[in-house]
Amino acid sequence: MLRFVLRRAASALLTLLGVLALVFGLLAAAPGDPAAMAAKAGARASAVSPEALAAFRTLYGLNRPPLERFGIWVLRAARFDFGISLSDGRPVGARISGALPATLTLNLAALLAALALGVPAGIAAARRPGGRLDRISGALGDALFATPSFVLGLVLLLVFSGWLRLTPLFSDGGGIRGYVLPVVTLALPTAAFLARFVRSCVASALADPAAAAGRARGEGSGAAVRRALRRSAAPFAAMGAALVPSLVAGSVLVERVFSVPGAGGLLADAVFARDLPTVLALTLLSAGCVVVAAFLADVVSAVLDPRTRDAAAPLAPAGEAA
Amino acid sequence: MKRLAVAALLLALAACGVRGKDQTSVIRRRLDGEPKTLNPILATTDAEQIVVALLSRNLLDYDENLNLVPGLAEEVSDSPDHLVFTVRLRPDARWEDGTPVTSADVVFTLNAVMDPKVPALTRRSFFEGLVKAEAVDARTTRVTFKTPSAGRRDAFNLWLLSAAAWKDGDLATHPRNRNPLANGPYRVGSWEPGRTLSLVRNTQYAGPAAPAEQVVFRVVPETAPAFAGLQSGDLDEMRLTFAQKKDVDAKAGTPGAPRAVTFDELSYAYFGWSNRSPLFSDRRVRRALTMLIDRESINRNLYGGLAKLANGPLPPAHWAWNSSITPWPYDPKAAEALLDEAGFRKGPDGIRHRGNLRFAFTFSLGMGSDVQRQMVELAQQSFRKAGIDMQIQPLEWAAFAAKMDAGELEAWAAALNLDPYPDLGVSWHSAQVPPTGLNNASYRNPEVDGLLDRLRSTFDRGEAIRLLGEVQRLVHEDEPVSFLNTPLTKWGVSGRIEGVKTSPYGLFLFWPGASAWRPAAGSRPIS
Repeated sequence: MLRFVLRRAASALLTLLGVLALVFGLLAAAPGDPAAMAAKAGARASAVSPEALAAFRTLYGLNRPPLERFGIWVLRAARFDFGISLSDGRPVGARISGALPATLTLNLAALLAALALGVPAGIAAARRPGGRLDRISGALGDALFATPSFVLGLVLLLVFSGWLRLTPLFSDGGGIRGYVLPVVTLALPTAAFLARFVRSCVASALADPAAAAGRARGEGSGAAVRRALRRSAAPFAAMGAALVPSLVAGSVLVERVFSVPGAGGLLADAVFARDLPTVLALTLLSAGCVVVAAFLADVVSAVLDPRTRDAAAPLAPAGEAA
Repeated sequence: MKRLAVAALLLALAACGVRGKDQTSVIRRRLDGEPKTLNPILATTDAEQIVVALLSRNLLDYDENLNLVPGLAEEVSDSPDHLVFTVRLRPDARWEDGTPVTSADVVFTLNAVMDPKVPALTRRSFFEGLVKAEAVDARTTRVTFKTPSAGRRDAFNLWLLSAAAWKDGDLATHPRNRNPLANGPYRVGSWEPGRTLSLVRNTQYAGPAAPAEQVVFRVVPETAPAFAGLQSGDLDEMRLTFAQKKDVDAKAGTPGAPRAVTFDELSYAYFGWSNRSPLFSDRRVRRALTMLIDRESINRNLYGGLAKLANGPLPPAHWAWNSSITPWPYDPKAAEALLDEAGFRKGPDGIRHRGNLRFAFTFSLGMGSDVQRQMVELAQQSFRKAGIDMQIQPLEWAAFAAKMDAGELEAWAAALNLDPYPDLGVSWHSAQVPPTGLNNASYRNPEVDGLLDRLRSTFDRGEAIRLLGEVQRLVHEDEPVSFLNTPLTKWGVSGRIEGVKTSPYGLFLFWPGASAWRPAAGSRPIS
C-alpha cells in the first residue's frame, strides 16, 4: 500500500509540474506583452515610450529568457514565495489569500448542497427506473446540466434579487443570504450530474443478481440500496475527484455574475493582464486541488478495492468480485 | 438597569456603522473592476482613476470644457523658451492629516514618476525630457525640461504623492497605495477588497465641502446585475448600453427611476487598414471601403441614433475638431467605380482582382463588443456585394492588442480614446510606424509629418487649431483607416442625484466631476 501511495504521489507531483509548464509555455507564447497591457489599462491613446516599457520589463524580470523565469518561479514557489503580481506590485500570495476564502466557501457549500440534492434524487430515481420520478428528475437534470452556469446565475439573480427582492443583488448585501444564489447556481448543475451518476450506479446494483438474491432472502429495499451504495463507493470516490475541476471552472463565472471577490475573478483578470506569476500560482492551486482530489480518490479506491492497487493486475468483472 | 440600557443603545448605534449613517447623504457608485492601487501616479484603469479623482486634486485640473484651471497649484507658468515651468501651490492646500501640500511633495512626485523602479508607465511619458525638479520655497517648484513641447502644460494635470507618507519603502508595493493620503474632497474610509470601497468627506480639504458625506463604490463586474442595482436603487450610477438606455428612457418620469445622461467623449470607432498591404496602399481603395459601409444605418440601428459620423482623426467634442470636413458618403456605386479605377476588377468568381492580387483579406477584432462585431458583419456583407472577400477573425483582447500594436494586422476594428491634448503624431506620424510607435495603419504622408512636427513647437492655441485642422483635412483625404462614428456615451444616474455635469473627458476626470454630485434633499436610496 505504501508503495502504491508513493507511486501515486510522485505521479501527482509530475502532473502538477507538467500543468505549470504547459500554462507557462502557452501564456509566454501567446501574443500580449504585460508591459503593453499595463500601459493600455487606461484605454487612452497616450504614447508610452519604449524606455518606460523597457523599465517596466526590467523591474519585473520580463526581459529574462522564459525558461529562466519559469525555473526561478518554480524554485520560489517551492518555498511558498509566488512572486510579485505584474498588475499591482503586491505579493501574489497575499492577493490569493485575500480571494481564497470566498471561493472556498462558495465551492464547499456548493459541493455539500450538490451532495444533499443529488444523492437522494439519484437514489429515488433508481428505485423505480422509468417511473415518473425518474423521468422528471432525468429531464430536469439534463436541462440543468446543459444550462451554462453564467446564464443560470443571471436568470436566478434577476428573478430572485431584481424582481422578487428575496435575496440581495450583491453577495455581501445580506450575510449568508448573499451566498444563497451563488451556491445554488454552482450546486444545481453538479447535483444534476451527481443524481444521474448515483441513479445509474444504484439502478445497476439493484438489478444485479446479488440484489435479487437479497430480495429472495426477504431483504428490504432500504438494505438493498445501502448495499448498492457501498458497492458503488469506489466509482463515487473517483467521481468526487472529477467534480472538483468542474466546480473550480464554474466558480470563475459564478463569481463574476454575483460580484463575489474570489479566486476565479482574480484568475480571469490575471490572464487578461498576462500576469504570469498570479496565473501560475492560481494554476498551482486549482491543479493542486484536482490532483489531490484524484490522489485521494485513488487511495480510497485502493482501500475499497485492492485490485486497483496494481494497475497491471487483470480486473475481475464487478459482479464476480462481489 | 439604566446603565445596561444605555450601553445596549450605544452598542446598537455602533453596530449600525455605515448602514446607520444617514443614507440621504450617501452616494452608491459602481466599479466594473477592483482598483489594484490608489497610488495617484500608478492608477491607470478607469476604476482606479475615478476613485483617485475624488481623493486628489491635480496641480492643474481640466474644467468641463477641457480648459486647464488651477487645482492644487494656483498657477503654473513657463519661461519664454518653454523649458522651465514654475509651479506655485495654493497656500491652503492640505493633506488629510492637516499637513500642508508643499513643493517637497511636487519634487517627490516628479522624481517618482521618472524613477525606472516605479511602474508609472503612462505618467512618465508625459514628462519625457525632464531634467530636474527643484523646490524654490515651500510653495514654489521649478521644473526644467530638455526640449520645449506644446502639450507640456497638460502634463501638470497631475495628482501628487505625499512625500512624508510614501518616502520609505518601495513605491510599487507601498502599503499607502491602498490607503493613500488624500488632498481632495474625500478620503478613504474603509476598503473591503473585491466588494466595497468607502470614501468619506475629507474635513481638511480647503475647498468647499463635498455635498455627500460618503461615497460607497461597489465592485460589480457584470453589467446585468449592475443594471438591476441601478433600477432597484442599490446603485446610483453606471455606464449604459443602448438597450439599457431604452429601458431607462421607457421608465422616465416614474418617481425614483434613474435617468439617462448622454454626452460626447473624445473617442471614435474605426476600421483599420494596413497601408503597407498592396490591397490597401491606394487611397482610392481605402475611400471606397469607407463608402461601402452604411454608417448612417449603423448609427441608426446599432446605436439607436446616438452616434455621429466621424470625419477624421479628431472627434466632434474636441476643441480642434475641423467641422468643415464632410464625411465620405455611403455610395456603393461610386465606391465600385473607385475600385475599378484603382485596377481592382471583378473576376469570374465575383471577387475583384488586380493582376494576380485577389481582393481577399482577414479582418481581426478583439472579442468583447457585440456592436462592433455586428458592424463588422454588416461591412462584410456590403464588401461581398462589391466583390471583396473579407474573412472575420475574432481574437482574445490581449492577443489582438499585441498584434495591432506590432502592426501585424491586415485589417481590424478598434476604437480610440484621446487625451484632452492629443498628440496626433502618435497615431499618424510616419516615425511612429510599428514597431517604434502606434501608427498601426503604417500611414505615411510627408506633408502630415511636417505639420505634426510644427505642432510640437506651436504654443499658440489659435495656430494649433489651424494646423490641426489641416492635418485632419489631409488625413481625411487619404483615409488611412475608415473613420466610422463617435458614439455618444450613455450613463444611467439615479433620479435622486443632482449636480451631474458632463464633459468630453467623461463624467469623472474633470473638475469638479463627481465631487459635486449631491443626493437631493430628503431623498434616500430605494432599498
